[in-house]
Amino acid sequence: MMDNVQARIEGVVAEFADLDGREKLELLVEYAAGLPPLPADYQAKKAAAEGRIHECQTPVFLWMTTNPDGAAALVAEVAPEAPTVKGFVAVLRGVVAGRPAEEAAHIPDDLVERIGLADVLGMLRARGLRAITTRIRRGFCG
Amino acid sequence: MPSYAQSDVLVSTDWVAQHGADPKVRIVESDEDRALYVQGHIPGAVEIDWQTDLQDPVQRDYIDRTAFERLCAERGISNDSTVVFYGDKSNWWACYAFWVFKLYGHHDCRIMNGGRKRWELDGRPWSTERVSSPHAVYTASEQDGSIRALRDEVLKHSRAGRPLLDVRSPEEYRGERMHMPDYPNEGAVRGGHIPGAHNVPWPMNCNDDGTFKSAKDLENLYLKELKLKRRSPLIAYCRIGERSSLTWFVLTYLLGFGNVRNYDGSWLEWGNCVRVPIAKGPEPGGITAAPATAEA
Repeated sequence: MMDNVQARIEGVVAEFADLDGREKLELLVEYAAGLPPLPADYQAKKAAAEGRIHECQTPVFLWMTTNPDGAAALVAEVAPEAPTVKGFVAVLRGVVAGRPAEEAAHIPDDLVERIGLADVLGMLRARGLRAITTRIRRGFCG
Repeated sequence: MPSYAQSDVLVSTDWVAQHGADPKVRIVESDEDRALYVQGHIPGAVEIDWQTDLQDPVQRDYIDRTAFERLCAERGISNDSTVVFYGDKSNWWACYAFWVFKLYGHHDCRIMNGGRKRWELDGRPWSTERVSSPHAVYTASEQDGSIRALRDEVLKHSRAGRPLLDVRSPEEYRGERMHMPDYPNEGAVRGGHIPGAHNVPWPMNCNDDGTFKSAKDLENLYLKELKLKRRSPLIAYCRIGERSSLTWFVLTYLLGFGNVRNYDGSWLEWGNCVRVPIAKGPEPGGITAAPATAEA
């Protein structure tokens, strides 16, 4: 099967599709646990408060970068007291990792709805995750 | 040393560790981040979510009496259960759920002082097991209007010059921002505060470990500095009613105030209403201009 951002999105949607609400949250918690720690060379940037997403209540730091070969990378740190955001960011990190930035610039803003989390989380929380998706997508635009 | 007015309403993590398995006791977690419960909860605790469990999915209101009875029955809560609430964020949502339980007349509600943070700091265990509850029977009362303020009542209260507490951040109060610092704007089109409201940000009630401040500190704040009386008719509000539930809890149960209501519509309603008065800046203000009212 072809590997691209679109196919990975479909994979994630399928992964969440048949789970009940509790199982969806358990999967999200698994994703959260798999988000790697912030690389050492980003610690100084974080200390300078670069990358801070001010819309988020708990500290969330995001960097949308492009490697010299044009591959997208999402570098992130999310506070452990926000596993929903942390897990969701980890999902997005996996979706874009290593793919061309122009593909990453097309992640769908409504991913949170597509994976069925909006009903589990309620409207206000889903809106926050939607905002994060938009932020990441824009970060990979040109 | 003064003590809390109703000290038995507040329980310690140690009390919960000792009584959590008592069939008469139900431990309930309510969080801002629902995945926290899934990641690890107090052994035996069930979850009640403020948004997906306590809000009516159609009308902007709480679930009705029948739905509340069903929720309690499913969670194994009966009328004589001791329900202990705890959660993240210094127990904001625990206090919110507590308030909804009081709205429907549940007798024995408690808060675990310090919530998730204190449990963690005390090095107590988290559980990931799925908690199944024995089905209970529950009969709720009609909503207790004496602890809930609706918009028109708030307008009358403000006009009458009665005390209001705005527990949001100073920036929100002054009208410089329409949401909590670092939170997304959840849809208020105007910023500022309800005329006459005093700004008493919710963190003034809490210590860094999530526990409540001592009775002495709370008395100094509310009785001495703000010169409120225990019989004062008070309305507290914030953005959607969760932080003001915490202030409502502190005033009612820890300080023994007799007439405090939570305005759960809060700024998300007021900041969107046509022709309700709004004050901006650091002063409480008051309604002095000719009333251009939203009232019939």
